[in-house]
Amino acid sequence: MSQRQLAMVMDLNKCIGCQTCTVSCKTQWTNRNGREYMYWNNVETYPGDGYPKKWQELGGGFDEAGDLKPGVIPSLQSEYGVPWDYNHDELALGKPFHPDTDPKWGPNWDEDEGAGDFPNDNYFFYIPRICNHCSNPGCLSACPRDAIFKRDQDGVVLVDLDRCQGYRYCIAGCPYKKIYFNPRISKSEKCILCFPRIEKGLPPACAQQCVGRIRFVGFLDDEEGQVYKLVKKYKVALPLRPDYGTEANVYYVPPTEAPPKFDANGKIIEGSTRIPPEVLERLFGKEVHEAARTLKAEMKKRKETGESELMDLLIAYQHEEMFRLDSNYYAKVAKDKGLPPIQPVDTRYSSGKYTSKMTFSTKAVHS
Amino acid sequence: MKRYLTLAGWLVLGAMSLQAQTLSAFKSGEDVSKLALSSKLWDKIKSDTVIVYPQTTVIMNDKTANEVSANMSAKSLHVKSVCDGKNVAFLIEWSDTTKNVQERRDSNTYGDGFAVQFATTKGALPYIGMGSEGRAVIVHLQKVTGALYEPNNAQDVFHQVNVSNQNAFGKDAKAYQEAVAKQGNGDYQRTFIAEGFRSMTQIRDASESSVMEMNYAKGTWKALLIRPLQSTYLSLSGSTPVAFAVWDGALHHRDGLKRLSAWVELNLDGNRMLNPAFAETIGDVKNGENVVMENCASCHQYKEVKNAPEFMAPNLSNIGGYGNDSYLKESIVEPNGVVVPGYNLNAHRNFAWYTLDDKGVRSSTMPPFSHLDEKSINDAVAFLKTLKAEVK
Repeated sequence: MSQRQLAMVMDLNKCIGCQTCTVSCKTQWTNRNGREYMYWNNVETYPGDGYPKKWQELGGGFDEAGDLKPGVIPSLQSEYGVPWDYNHDELALGKPFHPDTDPKWGPNWDEDEGAGDFPNDNYFFYIPRICNHCSNPGCLSACPRDAIFKRDQDGVVLVDLDRCQGYRYCIAGCPYKKIYFNPRISKSEKCILCFPRIEKGLPPACAQQCVGRIRFVGFLDDEEGQVYKLVKKYKVALPLRPDYGTEANVYYVPPTEAPPKFDANGKIIEGSTRIPPEVLERLFGKEVHEAARTLKAEMKKRKETGESELMDLLIAYQHEEMFRLDSNYYAKVAKDKGLPPIQPVDTRYSSGKYTSKMTFSTKAVHS
Repeated sequence: MKRYLTLAGWLVLGAMSLQAQTLSAFKSGEDVSKLALSSKLWDKIKSDTVIVYPQTTVIMNDKTANEVSANMSAKSLHVKSVCDGKNVAFLIEWSDTTKNVQERRDSNTYGDGFAVQFATTKGALPYIGMGSEGRAVIVHLQKVTGALYEPNNAQDVFHQVNVSNQNAFGKDAKAYQEAVAKQGNGDYQRTFIAEGFRSMTQIRDASESSVMEMNYAKGTWKALLIRPLQSTYLSLSGSTPVAFAVWDGALHHRDGLKRLSAWVELNLDGNRMLNPAFAETIGDVKNGENVVMENCASCHQYKEVKNAPEFMAPNLSNIGGYGNDSYLKESIVEPNGVVVPGYNLNAHRNFAWYTLDDKGVRSSTMPPFSHLDEKSINDAVAFLKTLKAEVK
């Protein structure tokens, strides 16, 4: 475990699936050669196969004994989806418009499909996903080269591209499949939580660009921060698939505010909810029920009394207040450790050291 | 020649198999640094057989790879070596039904490859898997990958950005893509120095220069390695340990998923000087089996014997293939002599194969079995030498 841990909270009740986060990451980081198919940030529809396809069935993570479980490395062709382009250049010559490949699958192939029968009980919601910068990362544990490390100052999980030799066990080890193979450089790459931005006090691009204001960023030990309040004080933000045992540090306010179902006559069934509680439990663990109760109680309180700190936090009146970052803290870390200043091409991690042994705050939890 | 035959006879008598333990480099007046795979000189040289065995000490976490490479057989390499007094060259041939290239447009394809490993030390053998503390190895490795690029494009970020993000169309886009293509640097061909797997460091300067080449035709790979006898880290002369490994992309091989040989003695100048590290042990296999069952099986799995929990200790199923007798003996008596790197410390938290102190010194968690009498140790080694896959 790192000394401090930066975390992100995403409020799924507010995510509209606009993909602005996806695009901000794509233009910031994954527009490089070999990263075409990568989405360090993606937004997927649930229920759905997600990206990469059926990632929840591809293994990785830890079992109850704490042993790394084997996993499957997705195929670019069939699970991630080959990025395709169109023949825009040829349109002026009167040629028909067509893609340059015959796409069979891609990110958001099943967007907005969801489950259930329209209009009575169909439902879906969005899950934006980035690297969880886990406290017990599956990718790090799988690496036989010690090429993956977790920064002490904020727990950001990074790949040392000098040590990485492209073995790809990290991809099998990550149960969220949020580390990718760049075939052009034959090395693994992943979300870096925009650490060059964070160190300057700016939130990650995906969070800054979020039009729905669903993303909070801050240190888990910062008791004044919204992240602390949502995760630790009110316990309404929960990690995705805690049963994977990696201790994820991206937390979600579960989508508890789904509309009610309709009966056969198209009438509202009072007290019903379209998103089955067992679906939420599968994704966020048993704690989801208590989180849902808290959210409902605070909504009620807000309605009745006009006051609720939790609701005020989730409404997010001021966007900048959603981010509690501190460039001075990073400047001090850099000074204490004698790190050179950050560069446009950051070379501070180009020759790593051995990974240290992680200590665990909790045992692997299974729900 | 007579001396060689006598020694060969001795080796066959003492050995459990007829595997050639000694490679005698052909002495050539020709400059071998200019050799190619197609050079005529190779026709004059007799090849030796070196058997490479599946690595089963650790089980990696790639489910698909484990499935396709389950119950892997051993494989014969046909190795020719030639020395001109300044350089040594190897031609390695092995059969492979498919040519596998790491695809540029996929995330889970793997290239065939080969490696040759040299010991930098003269005495005790380094650990076969990338050396060990104080016993560094030099590894030359080639993988069939096609053009590869440097991370961050060696600081040229402009040419790292995908063409669809450049404000370029038609001819301009084509020119840009051509400029990008020029920055690729051919197959994955690297030289490493390592004192144990995790310390593996790529040598980027010319201190360990080499020429490598691979060619596939008619179900056979031919691979070439040429390197100088004298370099920054190596001073090869007389009899020196060398080891080989091959990767089969069809079986999703990379890293530890491979076939490897034991250390083999390479004789460079024709003067036979038996390195005691290559001495073979004679023992009673049947009694050895009992010794191993009583002393080792509670931690180590091997072949059908699976009394121990899965990740507790190195799996010994092929240790007789790639473990030399002297290494096996040393590991039993003094496990700290060579600490097996094993899994990432975080992968199986109940079973650490070694402990790491503040200074980074690794101590094996295996207790020494120096209390065993010499006969028991020899018998155990004789039994362990039988643990290996068959050649198919």
